[in-house]
Amino acid sequence: MSNPARQLADVITLPVRNIGGQAASVVGTAAEHARVWTANEVDDWGRDNGFVDRVWSASRLRWHISVGGAEHIPKRKGALIVVNSRRFSLAPIFAALAIGGAVGRPVRFVGRPDVAPLGPTMQRLGGLLPIPREIESALRADELIVLGAEPQLTNRTSGTIDHRIVGAATMTKTAAIPAATVSVPLRRSARVEIGAPIRLRRKRRGPLEELELADALQAHLDGLLDELGGAMTGTPLDWLPLGGIGGV
Amino acid sequence: MGGELGSRVASLLEDEPWVGSLEGIDVDPPRARLRRAVFHRIVPGQHDRTVETITAFNPHIVVHIAVWEPHSRANTRTARTLTDDAATSILGAAAECRALESIVVRSGIEIYGRNRNSVTRPTEREARNPTSEYGRMVDQIERTARAIGRRVGVSVGKLRLATVLGPHVPNPLGRILRMPAVPFSALADPPFAVVHQHDAAEAFVLAAKARLDGPVNIVAPGAITAFQAIRRGGRIPVPIVGPEWTVARGLSYLAGAPVPDHVLEMFHRGRLADGQLARDVLGFAPTTTTSDVIDQLFRWPSVVHTPSEVAWEAVS
Repeated sequence: MSNPARQLADVITLPVRNIGGQAASVVGTAAEHARVWTANEVDDWGRDNGFVDRVWSASRLRWHISVGGAEHIPKRKGALIVVNSRRFSLAPIFAALAIGGAVGRPVRFVGRPDVAPLGPTMQRLGGLLPIPREIESALRADELIVLGAEPQLTNRTSGTIDHRIVGAATMTKTAAIPAATVSVPLRRSARVEIGAPIRLRRKRRGPLEELELADALQAHLDGLLDELGGAMTGTPLDWLPLGGIGGV
Repeated sequence: MGGELGSRVASLLEDEPWVGSLEGIDVDPPRARLRRAVFHRIVPGQHDRTVETITAFNPHIVVHIAVWEPHSRANTRTARTLTDDAATSILGAAAECRALESIVVRSGIEIYGRNRNSVTRPTEREARNPTSEYGRMVDQIERTARAIGRRVGVSVGKLRLATVLGPHVPNPLGRILRMPAVPFSALADPPFAVVHQHDAAEAFVLAAKARLDGPVNIVAPGAITAFQAIRRGGRIPVPIVGPEWTVARGLSYLAGAPVPDHVLEMFHRGRLADGQLARDVLGFAPTTTTSDVIDQLFRWPSVVHTPSEVAWEAVS
C-alpha cells in the first residue's frame, strides 16, 4: 500500500522543483560557456580569436564602423596597412578589428607595449611589438598588419609614419596600403576607407625607398582624408573655418 | 639513446634506408626495442670510454641529443654538469673521426631569451641572448659544436626545440601542468608553444638526412597560454602576482614538481618561435599542434599504486 502523503506530493509539483532544475541547467550552461571561453587557444602570434570576437561584438555597442575599399586587401598575401590616428581614439586597434571583420582574416596591429598586464592583453587582440624585426617576421608569414601614423588632434591630416616599420614592408616586398580612419568622439559611426596599394615610381636600392614609401603613404592618407572630409568633432565647431577658407 | 627522445630517434633511424650501421651512447638503456642499433652504456663523465667508443665506430653523422633540461631528470646543477660532460666528450670525440661529415645537436628556443622588448616569435636570424640557465646550457652546446664544425670542416645542424612533451617524457612543465592546482601569472599569462616528442624525433632524422648546416626552430603550430592549458586539463587555476611566486615555487617543489627558471620565465614572458625555416629547409611537418600536445598531456594516465597483496592476488 502506497503512502498517501507521497501520492499527494507526486500530484502537487511545487515550483521549487522546476526552479531548481532550471537553475541547474543555467549553471551548467554557464559553466560550459566559461570552459569554452577560457579553454580555447591562441594562434602562432598569441592572438586569441575568441577574445577578439567578443571584444569586437562589445565594441559594436559603442561604434558602428563601416569599411570601404576592402577589395584592395590581398586575399592570402601579407600587407602593411597604414592608418591615420586621432589622439586617444585607438584607431589602429579598431581599424584592425574592422578590417578583419570585413576581409575575414586575422588582422594584427603594431604598438603593443611589452609590459604586463596591458601588453599581453593587447597581444590577445593581435598586437605586435613596434620592432621592425617583429613586423618583418609577421609580413614574411603573410600576415595583415595595421600600423598607425603619429596621432593627431583631429582627423583632418595624418601624422608622420615610422619609416623603420615601413622598411619591413620594403624588405619583404609586401604591399603597403593607406587606409583613412574617421571617427567622431560624440557620435557612433566611424569609417575606415582603404586605398589602393602604393607603388613608387622610382625603385631605390637603399634605405631611401622606405623613406619615400613612408612619405607617399602619408600623402595618400591625406588625400583619402580630404576625400572623406566631414565633421571632425560632431559639434558646430566643425562649421568654423579654423583651418582657413577652403581648408587652406 | 636511453631517453624517450633518443630511443625514438634511434628507432626512426633504423628504418631509414640510407643508414648503414647505428650506434648509441647513454647512461640508461634504450626504452624501445632496437633491431640494428648497438647500444653502449657509458656515464657522461667517462671521457676516455666515450672517445674510444666513438672513434672506433668512426661515424659519418653524429646526432647529439644528450641535453639534460633542469629538473626534468636532475636538478639544475647536476643537469648542467651532465650536459657539459656529455657535450665535451661526444663532440670532442666526433672531431677525431675521419669519416665525420655532419653533426646535429639538440638546442632549445630558450637560447633567444625573453628580455623586455625581445621579439615575440624569434626566427633563427635572431641573436642568441639566453636569460635562463637552460638557455645558457644550450647556447654553450651550440658554441662548442660550431667551433668543432669550423675546425674540422663539417656541417653543424642545430635543432632549437620548443619544450618537448610526450608520453613518459620527464619534463618540468608537464609535471606542473598535471598538478591538481596549477599557478599561472595573473597579470601576464603569455602564450607559449611546445613540440611533441615524435615530431622532435622526426626533425632529428630529417636534419641528419639533409646534413643540416645552421640552426632551425622546431615548434608545433599554434600556441596556448598557461591559463588556457590549465582549463583544458580541468585543473584549478591559481592566479599568482609578483612575490607570491616564491611561495608557489616552494609549494610546487614540495609537491614534486619543481619550477626551474626557464619554466618560470615562460609563465611570465611566454615562449614562441618561428618554425617556418624547418618546413622550408627540412620539409618538417609537425603532426601535432600545441593544443593537441597539451590535451594529450592531460590524457596520459596517472600512476596507479596497487598494494602488493592486491597485485599478488590478481596474478595468482
